[in-house]
Formats: sequence, C-alpha cells, structure tokens
Amino acid sequence: MTTSLVILAAEGGSDESLQLLPDTAELIWGIVGFALLFALLWRVAFPSLNQMLDQRQQAIQGRLTEAEEIRTEAEELRRQYQEQLRDARSRADEIVEEAKSDAERIREQKVSDAEQEAQSIRERAREDAEAERGRLVQQLRSQVAALSVDLAGRIVHAELDEQQHRSLVDDYIDRLSSMN
Amino acid sequence: MTALLAAVEYGGDFTLPPVGELFNFESALPLGINRTVVLTLLATLAAAALFLVAFSNAKVVPGKLQLVAESIVEFIREQIVLQIIGVDGLKFVPLLTTMFMFIWFNNLLEITPFVNFPTTSRMALPFFLALLSWAVFVGLGFRHHGLGYLKDVAFPPGVPWPIYVLLTPIELVSTFVLRPFTLAIRLFANMVAGHILLTIVFLATHAFLALKFPGIIVGVLTLIAGPLAVGFELFIASLQAYIFVILTAVYISGALHPEH
Repeated sequence: MTTSLVILAAEGGSDESLQLLPDTAELIWGIVGFALLFALLWRVAFPSLNQMLDQRQQAIQGRLTEAEEIRTEAEELRRQYQEQLRDARSRADEIVEEAKSDAERIREQKVSDAEQEAQSIRERAREDAEAERGRLVQQLRSQVAALSVDLAGRIVHAELDEQQHRSLVDDYIDRLSSMN
Repeated sequence: MTALLAAVEYGGDFTLPPVGELFNFESALPLGINRTVVLTLLATLAAAALFLVAFSNAKVVPGKLQLVAESIVEFIREQIVLQIIGVDGLKFVPLLTTMFMFIWFNNLLEITPFVNFPTTSRMALPFFLALLSWAVFVGLGFRHHGLGYLKDVAFPPGVPWPIYVLLTPIELVSTFVLRPFTLAIRLFANMVAGHILLTIVFLATHAFLALKFPGIIVGVLTLIAGPLAVGFELFIASLQAYIFVILTAVYISGALHPEH
C-alpha cells in the first residue's frame, strides 16, 4: 500500500506509476487547444479589446479636453468676476469718499449758515436792545421833565423844611428807579 | 502515512489507489482522446468563452465579465510585460495572456467539483508549454542578435576571463537546457503533489468519518483540512500559472536585452 505512493519515473511504463514523459495524444491535443485559444485571443478578443480601449481612450481624452475647456472658461469667468468685484469695490470706495466729502462740505455749510444766522440774530437783538434803550431814554427824559415841572410847582407853592426837602428828593429818586 | 497506519490499526478500510490510477487515463475515443484530453479542451473552451463573451461586445464602460477579463489582461500587461520586458514586450501580451489563461484554467480543474483533476499534472501540457517558452525566447535571441546571442549567453560581460571556463558551460546548459526543463517540472510536480494531497484528504475523510472513536478524530481533522487544502490548491494553481508566465517574460526579456 505504501509503495503505491511512491512516484516512479516511467518511460511509457505501467499504469500504476506516474508517467514523466508526455503522452503523444495529450501533447497533440494540448497543442491544438493552445493554438485555438491563442488564435481566438489574438485574432478576435484582442482586436475587440484594443478597439474598445481606443474608444475608451478617445472618450477619456474627449472628457479631459472638455473638462480642460470648462476649467479654462471657469478660470476666465472667475478672473472677470474678480475684476468686476475689484472695480465695484473701488467704485464703492469712491462713492463713500464722495459721500464723506459731501457730508463734510454740507456740515461746514450748515455750520457757516448757523454762525451767520446766529450773528444775524445777535445783530438784530443788539439793534432791538439799542432801539429799546433809546426809546426808554426818550421816555425817561420826558418823565423827568414832567417831574421836574411838578417838583418846581410844589417848591413854589409850599415852604419846605430840610426834612421835607430830603423826603422829596428820596421820593423822586425812588420813582426814578422804579421807572427803570 | 500516519493517517494510513491509523486506518489499518483501527480497522478502517482506507486505501490509496496506485498513483498511476490518479493520473493515467485510457483512451476511450478515437484519436487518442481520453479524459485528460477532454478536460484540456473543456478548460481551453472555458478560457476562450470568457474572453470571447467579455470582448465580443466590449463596452467603454465595462460590465462585470468584461471587467474580469480586462483585469486579467491588464495584470499581464502592466504587472508582467511592462514591468519585466518593457514597452517593446507589448507585442507578447496576447501570447503571455493565452499562456496564463491556458495554464490557469487547466490548473483550476484540480479543484473544480466533479472533475478534481488538473490536466497540467500530466507531462504533455507542461512539456509543450515549456518547449513553446524555450522556442520563443531562443528564437527571439537569435532573431535580434544573430549568433551574438550565443556569445552573450556564453560570455556574460563583467566576468574575469578565467571564470569563463567554469561559467560558460553552466550558462549554456542553464539557458538552453535547464530553463525549459525546470519550467515543465515545476508546473508538473506542483500539480501532481496538489492532486495527491487532495486525494489523500478526501479519501481519508471518506474512510475515517465512518469509524468510531478514536478513528473518527482523524476523519474530523481531514474533513476540516479539506476546504483548507482546496483553498491552498487554488492559491497554488494561480501561483504556478503566474510563475510560468513571469519566468517566460524574464526569459524573453533576457533574449531581447541580453546585456541586462
């Protein structure tokens, strides 16, 4: 039994040993099979495979070209957008500067106008006060004259002692003060 | 052997058939057609069908089958041809792909259910494939370099002259004799060993699982070992196809660029 496991070299030998030389029929049929497989792969499968690989290569190349064009276009658009954005920012800065300048100018104008208005009001007030003062002086002057006439009349009609005289003068001054 | 002795000791009927019965099949049909020939042609047909169906209506966006076939070609092209031979080796992609598919599918018969016989465990296919590989690289060498190829092989550059006395015979025998020999023997021996391994595991499971304790333990162990052995042989079948093709590519590269 154990001897059955021993691998023996045989030259076309017995069926119980392992043959180390090729069987002629198996060799010929093996060559036929291999030749048929090689012919099929070489003449049928590989041309079809190569044709498909060419198509795939063209498709991939086309997609790559298309992608490159789209990328270039996108890059151009991005550049344009950035340029527009830069212009817009520049324009916005100009507008802000203009607005600031206008605001400053308007502020200065308003301040100037206000100062002029205030100056005008002060002038008018001074003129009014001056006029009122003149009017009051004029009125006082006429009242003093009347009082002087009235006082002179009283001095003439009555003998005055010193006490009366002082009282009269004080009374006059009080009245004069109350008029102002 | 341990399993065999155990079977005898514990009363099992585990016997292995003569090794020849595992590999030698009588011709039952005309033209010497036997089980090995039929299986070889079926494996070839399966490989051809895979590629023809996958590429008969090849799409730019591949389906599953086309993707599998493309992956195989891509693997041969990128990982073997371009890596080893270079761009001038692209014309060998169909040949090397055919070689890979032919060996791989014939190897896979080893673990194919209801077949379980690798046709590459018969010497005919390894012998033919090794001879083809030899013819291709030797033919290329002489075609590209004329008789200078013989000189390139016999007298590798950069070696002191006295060494050539020893090196030249070794190089000549190694290149023109041992290369095809080792190519054929490596593939053949690996598939023979794999087939014997699986046979032992499956027969032992069949014999020992029917026994009582402690013989059944061996049956359980071989039952567990069965799927593992199948997985291992799947790896070996693929690896041997890869090794055969990559060595052929190395030999072709050596013939095209002997200075390397």
